[in-house]
Amino acid sequence: MDNTFLHSKKLLLVDDEPELLKMITAILTDEGFQYLVTAPNMKEGIAAAKAEKPDLAILDVMLPDGDGFSLMRQIRTWTDIPIIFLTARDEAGDKLAGLGLGADDYIAKPFLPQEFLLRIYAVLRRCYKEDAPILKLHSCTVDFSRAEVDNGSEVLPLTAMEHKLLETLAKNEGRIVTVDTLCEALWGDNPFGYENSLNAHVRRIRGKIEADPSNPVSLLTVKGLGYKLVARK
Amino acid sequence: MKAFGKYISKYLLSFFAFVLVLLLVNILAFSLTFGGIVFREYGAASPANMLERVAADLSVSGISEETARELNRNQIWAMYLNEGGGCDWSVSLPEEVPTQYRTQDIAVFSKGYLKDYPVFVRSMEDGLLVLGYPKDSFMKLTGNYLPMRAVRIFPLFVTGILAADILLLFLVYYFSKRKISKNTEPIMTSIKTLSAGKPVNLSIHGELSEIADSVNQASQVLSRQNQARANWISGVSHDIRTPLSMIMGYAQRIAGDHAASGNIQQEAEIIRAQSTKIKDLVQDLNLVSQLEYEMQPLTKAPVRLSRLLRSYAVELLNAGIPEKYSLETEISKDAETAVIECDERLISRAVSNLVQNSIRHNPQGCTIILRLACSDTAIFLTVADNGVGLSAEKLRELEEKPHYMESTDERLDLRHGLGLLLVRQIVEAHDGTMKMESTPQNGYKTILAFQKLLP
Repeated sequence: MDNTFLHSKKLLLVDDEPELLKMITAILTDEGFQYLVTAPNMKEGIAAAKAEKPDLAILDVMLPDGDGFSLMRQIRTWTDIPIIFLTARDEAGDKLAGLGLGADDYIAKPFLPQEFLLRIYAVLRRCYKEDAPILKLHSCTVDFSRAEVDNGSEVLPLTAMEHKLLETLAKNEGRIVTVDTLCEALWGDNPFGYENSLNAHVRRIRGKIEADPSNPVSLLTVKGLGYKLVARK
Repeated sequence: MKAFGKYISKYLLSFFAFVLVLLLVNILAFSLTFGGIVFREYGAASPANMLERVAADLSVSGISEETARELNRNQIWAMYLNEGGGCDWSVSLPEEVPTQYRTQDIAVFSKGYLKDYPVFVRSMEDGLLVLGYPKDSFMKLTGNYLPMRAVRIFPLFVTGILAADILLLFLVYYFSKRKISKNTEPIMTSIKTLSAGKPVNLSIHGELSEIADSVNQASQVLSRQNQARANWISGVSHDIRTPLSMIMGYAQRIAGDHAASGNIQQEAEIIRAQSTKIKDLVQDLNLVSQLEYEMQPLTKAPVRLSRLLRSYAVELLNAGIPEKYSLETEISKDAETAVIECDERLISRAVSNLVQNSIRHNPQGCTIILRLACSDTAIFLTVADNGVGLSAEKLRELEEKPHYMESTDERLDLRHGLGLLLVRQIVEAHDGTMKMESTPQNGYKTILAFQKLLP
């Protein structure tokens, strides 16, 4: 899925390690993010969050004048922007505390730039929808706002289930999504025994988006695991 | 009373043997000291012998010089009373002893003492021979009769007393033994726990409380050391993370920088790959030490393993693995719904370590299979590859030799991957079992078995 629409989002980075901030800034700038704000501690972090109104905050758990969790609590008092934690601790407790407080994700140091970017995109995509989300596939385009598939010769409507399924796959474009995740997206928590229904929905979607539904090139089956949606390059 | 037989068999027998030996020693000591005196008194100067000798030597005029000397040497006096109660003759007769007796006088002294001299008498043809021994040399029993009933029950009485004594001894032994084992049992258990490296807290009152205090102290020292070691490892791994992030980040940037030459890009890629290894190592090290010293409580919850395995496989495939490796997932139909109580993150980590091992040991590429099957009570998670495998010897080494973190000797050449140690610890923390199988050139396989949570 095209992520460029997210590059206009403003990101706030709070970490007491100037070298690390410099590297993260470089990674994000290279990727195309244009609005980056950095702060070395909690006090300046709060000030920056108030003044700059970022769309996403990336906070270190350990700060010289406090911890990332209380910084998040402060920020949360006036805004609901997504928050990602960066931490050098990998204990389960930290993770739970972070997510339990309402953090959107958690990145453990050390991390690879790829992984870092993927997490940021995932959170941003979840929180900020594209104004006109159009997905270009091999033999059609999908317009999510109208729930329609245009294969060049005709426009086919998507059912609510098909729309949801396709949207979940599109958010993870190019990546495999397990049957478990897809069933959860369609039928809620702890679904079981929906595999056949899922197959049926996939078949119907293929009928609409593939030129040859029996030899799919856009919605691929990954045996034993799940499905993958491949966009047109 | 289960341990009763054990008491009998070993300690009780030796205890009774000891009592028996003690008894024999007592009898021996008694006969040696007391018996010695008795038998000496019963020697040549004993009343019976003396009476015999004097009687044999007796004539109308008295006794011979020699016999009189013999009596004198033994400080014995003698007299001969005729039928009328008068003294016919005497030898060394003390002054206070009268020389004329009535019948009733004779009846009284013949049984006992005459003026405090123990006397012995012998009835002769025409009179009575009386020998007087020195005062306090003999004790005479004046009431020398026992009821027949008392004599008859005497053996029974002695046996009964002896039996009662033995029973009492046994009871004393048994209860003291029971008290000791009751008091020492918690101590033994604690020491066993302690030797497994786990903390204990003993609470015992009485004589053994000192031992309990020492055990508690040892436990505290052990805990403190473990805590310090775990903290140390966690601190180092924490401090290494931020610099490592930067190494990995810049290495990847250089590797992907098209302005850099191909050579530099390749070298940067090597730096990235190697620092990823350090990252894994640091994480494993920290986790192993946390599990080892039980610093981290497990957050267990019912988990569908099929889902966990798929999610792990997808994560790995999405992150991208080189083309020469392929990953297959086989989940049997009944294993699909199987649930176990586990810490999801740790199980995922165990699977990841096994997969990474397969990748590391098969640089030529291989197929890795994640398999889930189940029986009525257990669920089997297999990570297998079709790669180079291991020789039987290497496999045994892997199973038996301790990792350097667990080993106390200094032969660090025994070390093998930290990854496998972590897998083993995770499996143990979930009360599971781990089995490794491999034949050279025919792949390597690890089977983890866990208790299935019944629906």
